[in-house]
Amino acid sequence: MFITLEPSLDVAPAPPLAPGDRRPGDRDAAAGTPPTPVWAKAGPGGRAGRTASDKASAPAKRLWARRVVPYLYVLPATALLLTWSYKPLVETFQLSAYDWNLLPTSPKTFVGLENFVEAVTLPEVGRALTNTLVYIAALAVFSLVLPLVIGLAAQQVRGRWKTFYQALIFVPFLLTPVATSAVWRWLWADEGGLIPLALRALGLEVGAVFRDPQLAIVAIIVAVGWQLLGFGVLVVSAGMAGISPDYAAAAALDGAGWGRITARVTLPLLSPTLVFLGLMTVLLAAPWTFSLLDMITKGGPVDSTTNIYYILYQFGFQSFDAGLSAALGVIFFIGFGLVALVFVEATERLSFYDD
Amino acid sequence: MGTIEVKGLTRAFKDTIAVDQIDLTIDHGELVVLLGPSGCGKTTLLRMIAGILEPTGGAICLDGRDITALPAKRRDIAMVFQSYALYPHLSVYKNLAFPLGVRRLPKAEVDRRVREVAASLEIDALLDRKPKQLSGGQRQRVAVGRALVRDPQAFLMDEPLSNLDATLRTQTRQELVHLHQRLGATFVYVTHDQVEAMTMATQIVVLNQGRIEQAGPPSQVYDSPASVFVAGFVGSPAMNLMPARVVGRDGFVELVGEDFTAPLWPGQTDPLEVTFGVRPEHLRLLDGPAGADVEFHLVVDAVENLGHEEAVYGRAEGARVCLRRPRDGAATPRGLSRVGLDRRHLHIFDRASGRRLEWVPDAPNQAEPTPPPPQHALAGVG
Ligand SMILES: Nc1ncnc2c1ncn2[C@@H]1O[C@H](COP(=O)(O)OP(=O)(O)OP(=O)(O)O)[C@@H](O)[C@H]1O
Ligand SMILES: [Mg+2]
Repeated sequence: MFITLEPSLDVAPAPPLAPGDRRPGDRDAAAGTPPTPVWAKAGPGGRAGRTASDKASAPAKRLWARRVVPYLYVLPATALLLTWSYKPLVETFQLSAYDWNLLPTSPKTFVGLENFVEAVTLPEVGRALTNTLVYIAALAVFSLVLPLVIGLAAQQVRGRWKTFYQALIFVPFLLTPVATSAVWRWLWADEGGLIPLALRALGLEVGAVFRDPQLAIVAIIVAVGWQLLGFGVLVVSAGMAGISPDYAAAAALDGAGWGRITARVTLPLLSPTLVFLGLMTVLLAAPWTFSLLDMITKGGPVDSTTNIYYILYQFGFQSFDAGLSAALGVIFFIGFGLVALVFVEATERLSFYDD
Repeated sequence: MGTIEVKGLTRAFKDTIAVDQIDLTIDHGELVVLLGPSGCGKTTLLRMIAGILEPTGGAICLDGRDITALPAKRRDIAMVFQSYALYPHLSVYKNLAFPLGVRRLPKAEVDRRVREVAASLEIDALLDRKPKQLSGGQRQRVAVGRALVRDPQAFLMDEPLSNLDATLRTQTRQELVHLHQRLGATFVYVTHDQVEAMTMATQIVVLNQGRIEQAGPPSQVYDSPASVFVAGFVGSPAMNLMPARVVGRDGFVELVGEDFTAPLWPGQTDPLEVTFGVRPEHLRLLDGPAGADVEFHLVVDAVENLGHEEAVYGRAEGARVCLRRPRDGAATPRGLSRVGLDRRHLHIFDRASGRRLEWVPDAPNQAEPTPPPPQHALAGVG
């Protein structure tokens, strides 16, 4: 006769219970934890009794801590964000519908959309916008194109010198814009400035650069670009370091040369980094140039170097037209918000999660 | 053709020498497994053959042509990376087509070959997916497929199965062996899994600290390990290794251990410190009257039931010992037992050099055991 052996899940059989003996599991079940098997009992007068009394308060305390502590961690950052970013943002939206000269004593007059109409029709705003686009395009060369070229070239450089060169290129980014503005003003000075002297040696006469409506913006771009280059190179080389060298090795074994490896493997894998740099340039071209404008040109001559941030600052804090300034702020906020959305979406698409 | 010849190949990283003057010939159509512990230089050797790591010394030849200075892209060698290195931004189809696109083949031809390879590896349903949408086993197939499409002189594979679970590993192992037989191409396969090495290889090269310890067919590496290192590394559970001495006495060569003396062969020898080894399956418990050529005592510690057999672990004088025997229902040994082995299963290594000693029956005046010359060239062996 065959007997069928049932698969048994018991690891060890529970010993029979003595009369009056309760399994610790009975109590635990009430506290919401799964019953402890009886053979895990610690010993006579042991822990089963002690833990049962603790269990009533300890989990409740732990639960409270688990709920609350995370919020404590984010509280400082949230408070700062609310105070310094979101509150002013809301106030800007409010202000954009009023006419007000920033004096606490003078009344705010509700003007509806008038500020917005003025903002889009003022010729200065148009010029500032065009200049901003010029800044973005020109600075992209320093923050995106040149770093990419340098990064690809640096692939060929090996050893410890690579780090040294990168550090060298990055240093300008660490200098305060106000200090560099002063230095650049000397460098471009029409009397004895190094750059005009050098250009004169080449047969180019530039004169007082910051008073020339054509050349002033070029001088600003060179100065800011010089600072941005290091930042771009750093981000690009970090992006490249994140790409496993196995891909390039595999492509080389597949028969691809340097050009094809760059075009088909390195660049596509680097594209999230490049999109990030592009976003930074679009969003920050105006703020990055701001301190030089304020230090050197004040947006002039004849608004030739101004940008949207500077004009907004001028309207608000030099012409004391808070409403117009706020309306411009709202327009730029929405415009840049849309741009950022597009870029973030692009980054999502381009991320390959190299794993 | 794909005969790979490596001469005095060396690679040093600052102060470590990863690969140390390796000489090796790999014949066309062999499946050579580079076996060795972690850090012994397997990957380094493979990368140098592939051309993605420059040697600091020595030469590599492919079919008699020196390719040491040839860049990887012109070597016509395919490699499957341990990380697979599938291009993450390209679909499976484009990954497979990449090596063909580089060669500027006509579109129709590329399509035909990609689909052919995909069908043979059963990945044709996955052609539109990105690598991150594949399982480990599927990625591994795509990586092999990318090597296959271009019909190279030789395939190099760096631990391609190490990311797979046990079942898939066994299955893929067999598929790779099958593939090798079908293609008849040269394979160089890196692993530190000795089961993979034993089952797949036509030739095994055991590496240790950048040098070749032994090269030969799997049976030779297993049956007559050339050094203590190979003896201890190949085989699981490992070979039992114990200190002993060989002495010549009364016209006999004797093996003298901690608690035994066993006459081995008629002959003469100077006393010599040795390590003697015996595989667990060649040791047997002596519970009847029958004896063995070499006998010693063992205190049994534990008996493991492995299903198809059992492994008995114990302590002898001077070493821990393991023996394996069929589970034939015999009583489980306990306590002090006598174990023995036959002379033909005895491995003797020189204690000082670690090299294998082979007994050559006496010619009248010559009684010194001589180690076999180290043989690394795989050409013509097996
Ligand atoms: N780029 C490197 N720089 C410095 N040392 C290295 C480098 N690559 C490898 N080594 C060293 O060379 C030796 C051999 O490395 P290798 O990668 O060839 O080992 P392996 O046999 O493939 O090991 P594993 O089985 O762990 O993959 C190791 O000691 C390692 O530390
Ligand atoms: Mg390795």
